[in-house]
Amino acid sequence: MLPSFHYYQPESLAEALNLLADLPGPKKVLAGGTDVIPALSRGELAVEHLVSLKKLDELREIRRVGANLHVGALVTFRELVSSPLVAGFCRLLGEAAAAVGGPQVRNQGTVGGNVVNASPAGDLLPPLFALGAQVKLCRRGGERVLPLAEFLLGMGKTMLMPEEILTEVIFPALPGGAASSFVKLGRRNSLAISRISMAVIIFRNRQGRIEEARLALGAVAPRPVRAERAEALLKGRCPGPALLEEAVAAIAETVAAILGRRASAPYKRVAVKGVARQALLRAVPEFGKP
Amino acid sequence: MNSESRGGKGPELTSFPEGPGFRVVGRSLPRVDGTAKVTGGARFAADCKLPGMLFARVLRSTVPHAVLRRLDAAGALSLPGVAAVFTAADIPGNNAVGIIVKDEPVLVETGGRIRRIGDPLALVVGESEAVLEAALAKIKVEYEELPPVFSPLEAMREGAPQIHEKGNVQSVTRIKKGDVEAALAQAKFVVTHRYTTQMVEHAYLETEAGVAAVENGLLVIWVSTQNPHYDRREVARVLNLGQHRVRIVQAPTGGGFGGKLDISVQCLLGLAAWKTGRPVKMCYRREESMIASTKRHPFVIDYTSACDGEGRLLAVKVRIVGDTGAYASYGPPTLKRAAVHATGPYEVPNVFIESFCVYTNNPPAGAMRGFGVPQIAFAHESQMDLLAEAVGCDPFTIRLRNCYRTGSVTATGQRLTASVGIEETILRARARAQELGIWRGEP
Amino acid sequence: MKPFRFKAIINDRPVELLIPPNRRLLDLLREDLDLTGVKEGCGEGECGACTVLLDGRPVNSCLVLAPEASGRKITTIEGLASAGRLHPLQEAFLEAGAVQCGYCTPGMILAAKALLEENPDPDEQTVKTAISGNLCRCTGYVKIVRAVRLAAVKMAGKGGGR
Repeated sequence: MLPSFHYYQPESLAEALNLLADLPGPKKVLAGGTDVIPALSRGELAVEHLVSLKKLDELREIRRVGANLHVGALVTFRELVSSPLVAGFCRLLGEAAAAVGGPQVRNQGTVGGNVVNASPAGDLLPPLFALGAQVKLCRRGGERVLPLAEFLLGMGKTMLMPEEILTEVIFPALPGGAASSFVKLGRRNSLAISRISMAVIIFRNRQGRIEEARLALGAVAPRPVRAERAEALLKGRCPGPALLEEAVAAIAETVAAILGRRASAPYKRVAVKGVARQALLRAVPEFGKP
Repeated sequence: MNSESRGGKGPELTSFPEGPGFRVVGRSLPRVDGTAKVTGGARFAADCKLPGMLFARVLRSTVPHAVLRRLDAAGALSLPGVAAVFTAADIPGNNAVGIIVKDEPVLVETGGRIRRIGDPLALVVGESEAVLEAALAKIKVEYEELPPVFSPLEAMREGAPQIHEKGNVQSVTRIKKGDVEAALAQAKFVVTHRYTTQMVEHAYLETEAGVAAVENGLLVIWVSTQNPHYDRREVARVLNLGQHRVRIVQAPTGGGFGGKLDISVQCLLGLAAWKTGRPVKMCYRREESMIASTKRHPFVIDYTSACDGEGRLLAVKVRIVGDTGAYASYGPPTLKRAAVHATGPYEVPNVFIESFCVYTNNPPAGAMRGFGVPQIAFAHESQMDLLAEAVGCDPFTIRLRNCYRTGSVTATGQRLTASVGIEETILRARARAQELGIWRGEP
Repeated sequence: MKPFRFKAIINDRPVELLIPPNRRLLDLLREDLDLTGVKEGCGEGECGACTVLLDGRPVNSCLVLAPEASGRKITTIEGLASAGRLHPLQEAFLEAGAVQCGYCTPGMILAAKALLEENPDPDEQTVKTAISGNLCRCTGYVKIVRAVRLAAVKMAGKGGGR
């Protein structure tokens, strides 16, 4: 049994933004509902007004605009998994979407919801961090674009204001030669919340030397974390087993420092090495070849 | 069904050999309830609707150990749509249930003891499910809290808070064979470790649910259960009715795994239907099911094994402490079974095993698949691996050297005369492990 | 709370009713329409017992607000058998012994139906992925996977099923 609320199905983004601007009291936007409905039913979320985005088809698109990809807030995990644009320009985002929940949740849950929910274990967040994503926030009479790193404030906390809707996520499409991967460690393969996740993007020159590495870890801190020391040590070098172990050790060190003394630290300090090794190898198989 | 009719493609189905002249033996028969279950037609308890039906919910304690000082339901009763609030004072018969020991109240009485988070204090009955939540919130409860004990080892100590009148140790099982201390003194290798296992929730997919109605003076309860005959005796005792006036119908039961052998909704539904004269339905939500239901017993096992230089077992000494939580449920036989199985499928000449079933203020532990054996198997098999390491042989060899064979005598003195399959099982497991390339030792 | 006019095609039949907007699709199907083949297991999208098909795709009906499903096509387990004939998936679940307690069965069959409509000849791993949002606590997965593949064979034999 869910608590009572007023429910709206605006026909357009403008109408939705007007509602959010005018409705008094606690209000919430409803997209896929996979986080909002259980929160309502557990009594963790109290709202007077629930504004459904159901009819806003303009938010369901994945578009390529110049060098950028624009992913609409209502694009589902499943649509990310099956999108040729995602496969072509940000494969790791599709891999992350495929790792979310089970098929039912992937059919319902959305990109916008995953970002706004701001869970430390949100599976799309590390790849979006690595991609250097920005989010577009609309309100009546205005909009703003923020880097995801600024938008996410911490566990469940974002810069989103009650009268705003996150309408899309924007990031530069990866060039054809870029390698990428996403690896998730959960308690089981499906329907699992990430214990640790990692997104990798690696750019190499024609000689195979690493020009830039972006490594983002999920579920080790309130927000995704870039493993900067490992990124720096990879730069300018050629992948191989020795470099792989160097990078893994650096990542593990970064993570150990962040984890501090939290209860899961003894487990995650060890497990992160396996996740990192797997993610780097999957992105660049040459890490395994002496 | 033969492979041609499947087009020779796709998965193989195991079929029994078809005996000549048999219509049942050796044939694969359709499940009696199969068609109803694949079409959605099967009516589980939560699917039942009766005209004029009321709904019920339990108010549960939020503290683990306390005396219930006062319960005031006036606020709940004043809500429109609330038909009744029942407390222990409304129970006409014996307010105590339990498969082996009647140590669990159906509803805790005023002045009575609360022994865990989730003990039932009152039953709210209303015209709709919607009204129940608000009604529960309006019942005022005063507790006098007592110091709780959550560790069975602490509960066994002198001076620990007493959870039941007869003390915290519910039952003790001891098994002796030969002379363990003498054997330990002679043994070449001795391995001692402590093993702890966790509490496990059955998490049957269907939560506890039932519907009760009075039909022509007969109390009929349609319920998700594994134990209808026991349910009938308990409901009759609690309501002070002859057993002939209680009928339990086992509804299709969406999983039990031992967890639906205990009383859940039966007595409360019986009480509500009997008192109001109307059909009453109650379904636990998942959270309530987790809080209220029994669990697998967590064990603390101190295990010593000893063998000679060739890995032949000489002695096993085991102390098992099982946490049965607030109520005995199936604790005593679970701990007894753990003791009986403590040597595993291995013949040991000298054995001393003690097992204790201990009360704490944790959720009650009861029956669950394996009934104490999985916990102890974790310990005896870990010990065998460690002994093999000490001796310098492989894990198959040490098991084959010690496993039961026809003629073996168990720790309890039983001579095994037939159907001892462990040796062949180990040999086949080794062969299979070799086939799969995960075992590279001797064949 | 203003009542919401809910309109949908449920099991090939148009349905229209006024509901309070805070109704979950699960409750609407079970309570208002007596489609009790839809089961509630956890109420938070972890178990898949409440799976229904929304425009042919499996979703957890406990996570869908009923008004969100308005205007769409909904299939429950009650919509599978037609004119007294079981769907090949239902036959296969019976033949393969894939039904035990039966509580996960409706959701399993619907998840499998969505799979077979997209991929009529799935391998074992594909079947496992397709039912990975559905828990079977009796742990009958092996037979369930076999049943889905058996159904695929049956449906291929009948020219793609009904």
